[in-house]
Formats: sequence, structure tokens, C-alpha cells
Amino acid sequence: MSGEKLFQTQEVGSIAKPRWLVQALKGQRPTPDALADLERWRSRVPFVPEHDPRLKKLLKGEVDEVGPHGIRDLGALFGLRYLETSGLDIVYDGEARRMEMYEFPIRQMTGFKLLGHVRSFDNKYYLKGASVGPVGLTAPYHLDEFEFLRQEARRPLKVPVTGAYTLADWSWNEHYLGKQKGWKGRSARRAAQRELLVDIARHAIRPTLKALIDKGAKVIQIDEPAAGTHPDESDLVVEAFNESTEGLDAKFAMHICFSDYRCLFPALLEAKRCSQFLWEFANRDTPEKDGYRDLELFAEFNDRREIGLGVTDIHRDVLESPELVRDRILKAAKVLGDPARVYVNPDCGLRTRSLDVAWEKLTRMVRGADLARTAIAG
Amino acid sequence: MRLVQECRLRGNLAGILYGVSLVPPVSPVHLGLTSNYPRPEEIVAASREFDRGRLSEDQMGALYSTWTDRVIEIETRLGFDTVTGGELPRQDLFRAFSESLPGLEVGSLTRWFETNTFFRQPIVNAPPQWAPGAFARRLPLEKLTASRIAPRVILPGPYTFTALCDNRTDLSRQELARRWSELLALEIQDLSAHGVKVFQVQEPSLVVDPPSVEEESWVREAFEPLAPALANVDSVLWTFFGDGAPVLPLLSSLPFETIGIDLADTDPSRLTELATGKGLGLGCLDSRTTLVEDPAELARIAKDLTQRLEPSSVLLGPGAPLELVPWDVAEKKLTVLARARELIEGGAKASEVPSAGATSPARRRSSTPKARPKGKSAPAKGRGAGKGRSR
Repeated sequence: MSGEKLFQTQEVGSIAKPRWLVQALKGQRPTPDALADLERWRSRVPFVPEHDPRLKKLLKGEVDEVGPHGIRDLGALFGLRYLETSGLDIVYDGEARRMEMYEFPIRQMTGFKLLGHVRSFDNKYYLKGASVGPVGLTAPYHLDEFEFLRQEARRPLKVPVTGAYTLADWSWNEHYLGKQKGWKGRSARRAAQRELLVDIARHAIRPTLKALIDKGAKVIQIDEPAAGTHPDESDLVVEAFNESTEGLDAKFAMHICFSDYRCLFPALLEAKRCSQFLWEFANRDTPEKDGYRDLELFAEFNDRREIGLGVTDIHRDVLESPELVRDRILKAAKVLGDPARVYVNPDCGLRTRSLDVAWEKLTRMVRGADLARTAIAG
Repeated sequence: MRLVQECRLRGNLAGILYGVSLVPPVSPVHLGLTSNYPRPEEIVAASREFDRGRLSEDQMGALYSTWTDRVIEIETRLGFDTVTGGELPRQDLFRAFSESLPGLEVGSLTRWFETNTFFRQPIVNAPPQWAPGAFARRLPLEKLTASRIAPRVILPGPYTFTALCDNRTDLSRQELARRWSELLALEIQDLSAHGVKVFQVQEPSLVVDPPSVEEESWVREAFEPLAPALANVDSVLWTFFGDGAPVLPLLSSLPFETIGIDLADTDPSRLTELATGKGLGLGCLDSRTTLVEDPAELARIAKDLTQRLEPSSVLLGPGAPLELVPWDVAEKKLTVLARARELIEGGAKASEVPSAGATSPARRRSSTPKARPKGKSAPAKGRGAGKGRSR
């Protein structure tokens, strides 16, 4: 992120996994439909050359011959090229190797036990763990995927890492809460939660970030979707971020979504090493309601950091026109008083949408950023 | 109300005894599943398959039926005084109404207070109308009324509904809340005719985002239409996710027999005032932690509150929705309630409160007269004989 090009476009998180990848990861022979889908996408996103032996074997349905590593590499290449070809300036691999953002990092840590599924909404659930001992780290994670992408990427990378606050908030706290004496009311829970998230930050996230930086990561996005869950814990969100990044040298960003951003202020100002906030806005923007109103918080609190502007709703198939994206960008540039502070991204990970819809949304977003640059230049 | 009158009698008698023999006043202790119950892993997996079109509605329905039986079995075995079946198919507190009542529509996903769960925000496009039987059809009424224990149904309260809905009508919040109470009254009358004995109204917003002093009068007025419907049934106002202490006087003034407080967010020592004749509901299981509560600590708090507030009865249950923990943990937590009741009752003088093992059907009748299905005798299992009651 050199800052030279205005309104650089970037991904935020995951994209949907193509069917051939899902099936192959399960060790299944991809169905003819899934392989036809692969070929259709390969004509648009040539992520591997025709003669690639892994591709040849996959197209023949020889999943075992490709092997799990080969399958995952193909998935990562598809995600990477998909985002690059859509025109984004800053990319990753659509989290092709990760199953989801909570369970994977928790499985890399000690002191947790996965207890069972809890409903998120309707018939959607997530596997939730409990802290049952002091937090430790088996080994820094995301390193292999980053190293692979570093060698393959044609554009700058931004590594997404789930934040300590979210990992703590999405876990049950047995070990630390169990140490609290007496009736475990709100204050006891908060104190225990602070202990848990600080330990996750110090003993798991920070070593992982350091290892990523040592491997060459320049830009790291800390994902904190839980940041707005407890309005009175904004200081803990910041403490988790600061503990995680203490002593590290990279460009750090923080992604927060579907939250009341106002409740995070002024605490968020203390996230010292955070250069950019990537926030969801498009979801809350309607003809009746200005969804970008919270941008004014930066002026209100005299904060000059970059903003990763969510211009694309990830919960609806409706396609934002390039003109709408342009208008949102220009409005943000005006409110923030400096177009160089505005980066452009979807609200959150686009895996909620089909690859076709996500593609259309991303390419329109890229065109919208072009239009905004033209408008500024003209 | 009969239950309240009998409890007052018991309280007075206990007061006399207390004065004479230092026996503390005693309130009957009830147990209830005052929230939903988590879905078991089998339903988690099946409902995912259902969403992918790989399971039929009938197959899902059969699974829900089987597991509802399991929840009823747990409620019965632990000696609960009411039975709910756990509300396993219910998607969120409002959905059954948003999907079926004219004037309402299912809206966008919205965070469910300070949790990582979400509900679909009800959209109010026009003054909502009652749809007879629409809610009842979604309940396992046959199972509940066939149980030896009184059926309890959980409903969304008017204050919380109007706090969380997207009101696109010309109705003011006060008018909509009153309209919602009128609909609830019709629902309660209908369900009562179907054999439901206990109605619990969920009002988390009353403690999370309580009304100002100036607003309290409209809140009371908004609940008024409920009063006649609640006059002939047992009623519980249940709050959670927030501090109940500051609003307990307001809660006590609303037309419910029992006022439920979430002790995970309320310092019990700050509960100082409860209207005479009201029962006290203690949400004493914290659904936000998998740590299982200590029954002795729970009994200590319940006894302290009983002595200080002199409620007509005490209802022990989960505070916030129990679906925030896994199935197995939920059952362990509920088992604590049964043990806590033993400790509470066993802690009083034997002359005043029989021990759990000696609990007689006569005493049970006196503690929950209205909660017993008409014509049914005292349970053979459950209190006294159930596994959860054994020492």
C-alpha cells in the first residue's frame, strides 16, 4: 500500500470455495458439474496453465493423485488469481485454505477445548471452544499459506488474522473465570475476559504475527468482528490489538463490521499501531438512511488514519453500480478531508455470495474506484 | 390469585414462626426452564442438511419431535414445575409472529444483544393483526399438555418487541406496544384454552435499555391489556442480559405474578425492593459460560434474597437463553437447580419445610396450585422420586 495510487481496492476476507475444491478437499472425485464450473472459471481466471500436472489429474478426477497439498495449492491459486483478475490492488487468497476464522486459530492453540456447536442464527452454527487452561501456541500459523502466496502473488498481499478479542469473545471462559471468587457477575466476567484475551494476544497472536513478518508480511489485517458486541469493552478491544502488535513492525489494519462504531470511540484512538480501519458501511446505507455517517467520527475525534471503506454489501445479491461505488468513495474522501486516506473494499468477506455474484460485485467496485479517481483528477 | 393468596398465608405463618422460633420465612421454590434449550448435535447436523435440501420437512419435524421429548424428559426428571419442551424448532423469539401475523414481515439479521447470535428483525408494515392458531400450531402442545407437568409458553413482551422491531407504521412506540399487548392477550386466552397453564413474557430490553422515569407511565399502560388475560393463569415476566435492580420497582408494578431477574448481570445484594405478593424469579444459571454453577452458592443467594424480599415464591431457572451453551452443559446446569432447591429447602428448619426426600404431594399442591393441569394428581416422579432429587 504505497499510498501513491488513490482509492486502492482490496479484499477483506474469504470468498466462497468452488465446488470442485470442496469436493476434492473431502477426497471426493469432483462431479461433472463441478469440473465444468472449474473450466468455466478457468477461462475467466486462468489460475494454472493447461499443462499443469495437478490440473490434468484433477480434471480426470484423480484427486488422490493430486493429494491434499496439491488440492489446497490449487484452491489458493484460484482464490489469489480470482482476486487479482477482478482488478484488486491488494489481495490474498480468499482464505482458500481456512475452513473458518475461529476454529482454525483455536486449534493451533493450547488451553482450549472445542465443546460443541452453538447457533449463530437460524440453522447456522459455529463450533465453539472453552478456555480450559493457560493459553499457549502449538506453532505460529498461516505461515505456509503466506509463504506460498508470497511466491505466487503478482500484487501486494494483506494477511488476515483473527484478532484476540474476537477469539476470546467467541469462546467460553472456564479457566480464567473459574479463578474468580464468589458470584460471577458482569465485573468478574470482564476481569476474566481481559485475562483471556491478553494471554491470547501475547502467547498466540503476537508470535504468529512476528513469524509472518519474519517471513516477509508487510501488511496484516486483524479481524475483530466481535469488537462491537459489548459496548463497555471497547478498551479491551484496543488492549487486545495493542498487546498483539507490541514491538512488531508492519502495517496493521483492523477490520470491524456490523457494529455500532460510535461505542468504540474514543477507546479506538488508543490502538496505536493501527494504520487503517476497515469497516462495513454499504449494508447500512439506504436511500432513507446515510450509512456512512459514522465516518464523521474521525473528524469528531481528529483522527487522521486510513479507512478501508466498505462499498459493497456482502449480504445481498443486488449489484452496486460503479457509479454508486464512485459516489460513496467521493463522499468518504470529502468527509475525511483527504482522498489519500480512502481505501476501497467490500463490507466483509464475500463468501456469503456465489463466486459469480462476488465477481460482479468486485469488478464493479474496481470500476467505481476508477471513476472516483477520474472524478478527482478531473 | 390463588397461588399468591396461599403463598401469602404461608409467608405470614412463617413470619409468625420466625418471630417465635427464629425460623426464617419460607417461600415455595419452583424450578423451570425459563429459556429455550440448545439444539443437540444431531439437530445441528440435520438442520444443515435440511437447508441444503437433503432432508424433508417431515424428517426434520420427526427429529424435533424426538428431541423435544428428550427435553420434556429432562424437565420431568429434574422435578421442574413447568414443562416447555425447549423450543427447539424456534428460530428466534419473534420469528413465529413475524412470519404469521398480518402486518409483520421478517427483516434483516440483527445482533441479539451482547451475544454472537442474531435474530431477524421484525418489520412492522401495518398495525399487526392476530392470526388465530398461527402460533399455537408451531408449539408441541400435544406433548406439553400430555405431560404430568404444567405447560409453560414463552412470548415476546411489548417493550422488547417495540425496542427491537423496525416500526414502519404511523403508530407511536407506545401505541404499538399496547397493540402488541392486545395481541398477546388474545394469544394467551387461546393457548390457555388449549391447556397452557403458565405464560412467560420475555423482556430483556426492560433491563438492557430501561425506560426513563418519565417513560415508565406509558410502559405500565402498554402492559395493561395483558392484565385480564393473565388473571386466570400463572404469569412470569422474565428479564435477562441486563441489571434488574434499578428497574425492579417498575417490573413489580406490571401485571405478572413472578418477576424474573438475570443474576449474571444483577448484583443480588442490590435487589432491595419487591412488591408484596410478587414471586421472585432468579435467573441463576449463566448461559454465557460453560462453567457449571455451584448449587451451594446459588442456594445461599436464593435464601438471602428470600429472607430480605419475602417473595411469595421463588422460581429458579436459567437467566439468558440456555441455547448459548451446548446441550450437555445445559443439562448439567439444570441439574444444579434441583440440587440448589434441595439445599434451600433442607436449610430451613425441618418443622417448617420438609426435606426433599420427604416432600409430600400435599405440599407440592400448595406451592403450585394453578400450575397443575386440571384433574391431574401430584406427580409420581419428579420431585421426591426423580433422579435429580436423589441425595
